[in-house]
Amino acid sequence: MEFNLSTFILEIINFLILIWILQRLFYKPLLAVIARRKQFIDQALADAKMLQQQAEEQHSLYENRQKLWEQEKQAAFTALHQQIDVERKAQMVQLNNDLEQERQKNKVTLQRQQQELQRQAEKQALQNGARFAGMLLKRSASPELEARLFFLLLDNLKTLPAACTLCLQLLGTKKSVPIKITSAYPLTADLRLPLEQKLGLLINSPINFQYHQDAELIAGVRMDIGAWVLNVNLQHELIGFAEIANDAE
Amino acid sequence: MDHEFSFVLGPVVIGASIITTWGIMGVITVIAWFSTRHLEMLPNSLQTMVEGIVATIDDAIIAVAPEHGRQIMPFIASLWLFLIIANLVGLIPGLDSPTRDLSVTSALAVLVFFSVHWFGIKTLGLKNYLHHYLTPSPILLPFHIISEFTRTLALAIRLFGNMMSLEMAAMLILLVAGFLAPIPILMLHIIEALVQAYIFGMLALIYLAGAMQSQQLNSPE
Repeated sequence: MEFNLSTFILEIINFLILIWILQRLFYKPLLAVIARRKQFIDQALADAKMLQQQAEEQHSLYENRQKLWEQEKQAAFTALHQQIDVERKAQMVQLNNDLEQERQKNKVTLQRQQQELQRQAEKQALQNGARFAGMLLKRSASPELEARLFFLLLDNLKTLPAACTLCLQLLGTKKSVPIKITSAYPLTADLRLPLEQKLGLLINSPINFQYHQDAELIAGVRMDIGAWVLNVNLQHELIGFAEIANDAE
Repeated sequence: MDHEFSFVLGPVVIGASIITTWGIMGVITVIAWFSTRHLEMLPNSLQTMVEGIVATIDDAIIAVAPEHGRQIMPFIASLWLFLIIANLVGLIPGLDSPTRDLSVTSALAVLVFFSVHWFGIKTLGLKNYLHHYLTPSPILLPFHIISEFTRTLALAIRLFGNMMSLEMAAMLILLVAGFLAPIPILMLHIIEALVQAYIFGMLALIYLAGAMQSQQLNSPE
C-alpha cells in the first residue's frame, strides 16, 4: 500500500488521454449514429403519424361521403319505387283493358265459331235429310213424284239465295243464255211453261231452253245454268234442295 | 509487486500499474477504432453490441442527470469502461489489476474531485458554485469542505481496498486449498470487479450530478 507520485500523475494523464481518445473515436461517432437513427425513426414516426392522420381524415371524408351517397341512394330508391308503383298501376290498367278487349274478341270469336259449327251442323243435317229423303223416295220413283219435285223446285225458285240471284243477274248481261234441263221422265208443256216464266223473270237476257231426258236421275230435274248446276233429283239425293235451303238461311 | 516490473525513465518511475494501464488503453483504443470504422444506419452485430453498451451507459447517466448528462457522459463512461477492464485484468495470469494500486485509485478519485468542481463552476459560474457551500447555513461550510475530501478519500480507498483484498484472498485460497478451489473465488472476482466498477462510476456520477443540479436548484435563478 505504497503511494507513488509518478504513478499518480501518470495515471491522471493516462485517464485524461483515454477520455480524449474515447470521446473522439468511440462516443462521438456512436452517439452521432444513434442520434441520426433516432432522428430517422422520429422522422419515420412523424411521417407515419401524418399518414395516419391523413388516412383518418380520408376515412372520415369517405364515411361522410358514404353517408351522403347512402341518403342519395335511399332518396333515389324511394323515387324509383314511387315511379315503379305509378308505372305498375298504369301498366295494370292497360293490361286490364287489353285483357278485356282480348276477352271480348275471344267471346266474339267463340260465338262465331259456335255459329259456324251450328251452321255446319245444320248444313250437314240438311244434306243428311235430303240424302235420307232421296233414298226413301227412290223406292217410289214415278212421273208423279217427279212432277211433285218439279213443283217444289218452282216453289223454291221464289226464295233463291242472294248468291244465286246475283249469279243469274250476271248471266243477264249475255246476249243468249243456254239453260239445259234434264229430267228422268219427259216434261210436259204444262210443266215447262211455269219454269220458263220463272227463269225469265230472274234472267233479263233471252234464254235458250234445252230439254233432255236421263233415266239415271231416277226422278226429278237437273238444271245446268252456266256454271251453276242444280240437282233436284233422286240420283243426287235432292242435294239441290239442301243447297237452296242452306243458302237461303 | 510494482518493483518487479518498474523501470525508471529520467526522474519518472514507470510502475507495473502504468504499464498495465497503457495496455488497457491500447486495447480499448483498438476496440473503439475497430468497432466504429464503418458505422451504418442498419448496424451489424458488433455495432449493435457497442451501440448497446454506449446507449445503456448514456441512459443511466441521463436518468441521474437529465439536463447535463451528455456533458459528463464521456468522463463517467470512460470511468466505467476503464474500471471494468482494469478490475478484470487481474484474472489474467501474470497480470495485476491497476486498481489494486492506491496511486491509481487515488488518481481516479482526484480526477472525480476536480471534475465535480470543474463541471459545477462551468455550469453555474464560480460565484454561484461557491455559494452552495454556504447553504443552507454558513455554519455548514466546514462540513462541506470536510465532506469533499472525505468522499474523495473514501472513493479511492474503497476501490483500492476491495480489489486488493479480493486478489489477496484469491491468492491465499489458491495457496491453501489447491488447484480447483479458487474457481468460485474467481467467479466472485468477476462479480466484485463489475460491482466495484459500477459503484465507483455511479458515485462519481452522483457527485457530479449533485454538484451541477443541486446548485442549480439552490441558485437564485
